Amino acid sequence: MMSIRSVMAGLASVVALGAFTPACGGKEYVRDSHDPSIDNAAMSTGLDKDDIQRMLSENLNNLRNAPIMDLWRTHRGADTVAVFPFQNETSEHIESQLTTILSEAETWLVDSGVVTMISRERQNQMIAEVEGHRNAVFNPAHVAQYGRQLGAKYFVTGKVSTSDERTDDARRVQYFFYMQVIEVETSAIRWQHKAYITKMVK
Amino acid sequence: MRRLSLVALATIAGLVGCGGHEARTLKMRTALDEGQPKAAISSINDEIDVKSDKDLPADIQGDNALLVLDRASIQQSLAQFPNSQRDFEAADKAIDLLDLSRNASDTIGQYIFSDSAGRYKAPPYEKLLINTLNMINYLERGDLSGARVESRRLSVMQRYVVDNLGQKDNPVIGLGGFLAGLTYEKSGQPDEALRFYDDALAFQGFSSLRTPTRTLMQSASYKSPRLNTLAAEAPSRPVEQTGEAEIILVVGYGRVPHKIANRIPIGLALTYFSSAINPHDLEAANKLAVEGAAIWINYPTLAPGQGGYAIPVASVDGRSVGLEEAVDVEKQVRAEWHSIEGRVAASAITRALARVGVGEGVKTVAGRDSTVGFIAAIGSMIALTAADTPDTRSWETLPARVAVTRVRVPAGKHTVRLDARGVSRTAEVNLEKGGWSVVSLMALR
Repeated sequence: MMSIRSVMAGLASVVALGAFTPACGGKEYVRDSHDPSIDNAAMSTGLDKDDIQRMLSENLNNLRNAPIMDLWRTHRGADTVAVFPFQNETSEHIESQLTTILSEAETWLVDSGVVTMISRERQNQMIAEVEGHRNAVFNPAHVAQYGRQLGAKYFVTGKVSTSDERTDDARRVQYFFYMQVIEVETSAIRWQHKAYITKMVK
Repeated sequence: MRRLSLVALATIAGLVGCGGHEARTLKMRTALDEGQPKAAISSINDEIDVKSDKDLPADIQGDNALLVLDRASIQQSLAQFPNSQRDFEAADKAIDLLDLSRNASDTIGQYIFSDSAGRYKAPPYEKLLINTLNMINYLERGDLSGARVESRRLSVMQRYVVDNLGQKDNPVIGLGGFLAGLTYEKSGQPDEALRFYDDALAFQGFSSLRTPTRTLMQSASYKSPRLNTLAAEAPSRPVEQTGEAEIILVVGYGRVPHKIANRIPIGLALTYFSSAINPHDLEAANKLAVEGAAIWINYPTLAPGQGGYAIPVASVDGRSVGLEEAVDVEKQVRAEWHSIEGRVAASAITRALARVGVGEGVKTVAGRDSTVGFIAAIGSMIALTAADTPDTRSWETLPARVAVTRVRVPAGKHTVRLDARGVSRTAEVNLEKGGWSVVSLMALR
């Protein structure tokens, strides 16, 4: 508990520092092309553009040099690949960020030109057929069935999990981002890699 | 020095006239009392300066976070689950940030001017209930992925409350365990589900959870002494095998006591709270009380709660279903307040003594015998007294009690009706074999 003396000293500090003076001026909108540094600051413990780019870059650079990519290159685009939703096993609501990751990974594979990508529009139709029309929700346990229905030879999937801790004055979220390429026929994992990101509020 | 005093007075004058959080939420509480939740939301929208229920305030860093939390609860009571979800999530992050932020001006402001000048520190039951209640939103919509995120967030907070704050017996953990266990059970993760059910069964009876837990144990490896004891009773077949489905009912009713501003003479305050004041301040306070100085102490206290003894009613297809109490939130609020009330009142007494000190200081600066000095001293004390707004901030739209149950029903269409405190909800559910549905009612009257 504070004594009166320390309270009085505090009053002098407050007055001196002008702590209660309201801030002046309105909000300012900034564009990243004018100020690239605005992408650098972490605004929350969720995933932002910088985190997504770093995690994807780590995983896709590894895939670029993986044996499965060499195999696909030798087959000159004959292999069909489907990208399935990435699972959110984190303590953050990052579904929209996962959708972005999915699209970025799909774009990277299309641009690579070594495989034939199966449209995600068709995927939803296949998921509905496997799950039944009344409950057309993606079920990770049935991905092999989806792949067979789609005629895909491989599918790319992934998940993001976290280790989340809190103390009196800090909350730290460590993200673990896994990506896999699975062969539909055998369910064998042909490639897998992980990337880490840590966010903290303190 | 004279200039400094004038700056101090001008700064203080800027704080005069603030009615505190209690005043900001008066319209909301009145509307809820009258059974007008939409009007309650409208009054919050006015307070946070937004046009519709879907908008978040431009600044959610300060006390607006609490108002968004209040709106989340009311949106849930109106079955506006997506809006409620969004509000809970925004408030959760903002309150987390407030809770983790500290700086010197918070403490100085808190002790000199008013408790409400400092940042809001959410009590443990509020921290736990944000994720617990938001889990209901996700479960109502059948979104197990979203519910699992909330249950993970709850788990982090539970660990913090149990390990760091030492509250192993906080009963909110029981309700959270019931819902998180359900989330994992229906996600096909029986071990994780049993971990939460084990936590839940440590608290209230949750008799409707005993059979599902025993049934789940047949397909899981997680064990504990409590679960082993439970395993001795006969299990039933899973709903996937019997062709049945399940309905889970959650009813919150009444409202926890909110905080109100209290103003009493220093002599009376000393009678109640002298044991919580440090000896130096106690001596000064006693001197003032004996001199008969008209010093008033501003501090918050709890208003009466609402609906604590109401009896909620539930039925499925017209057949009555028994609900059991999962948590008495009002009891938690009172227990938490009881544990800090002495310290809060003591800081109010310290602030009152500081006001006298400031008055004396201003008089000295202006000249002890001058009329200007006397007026300045009185003026500064009046301004400080007016600025001393007791901290009446809290999550006011928490239900006083929450009751739950889960029942097996044949697959197909069913009509669920829930009633509490004159508020009712009827929901039609269509369940496949092995399916499930959560139906909730938040009667915040």
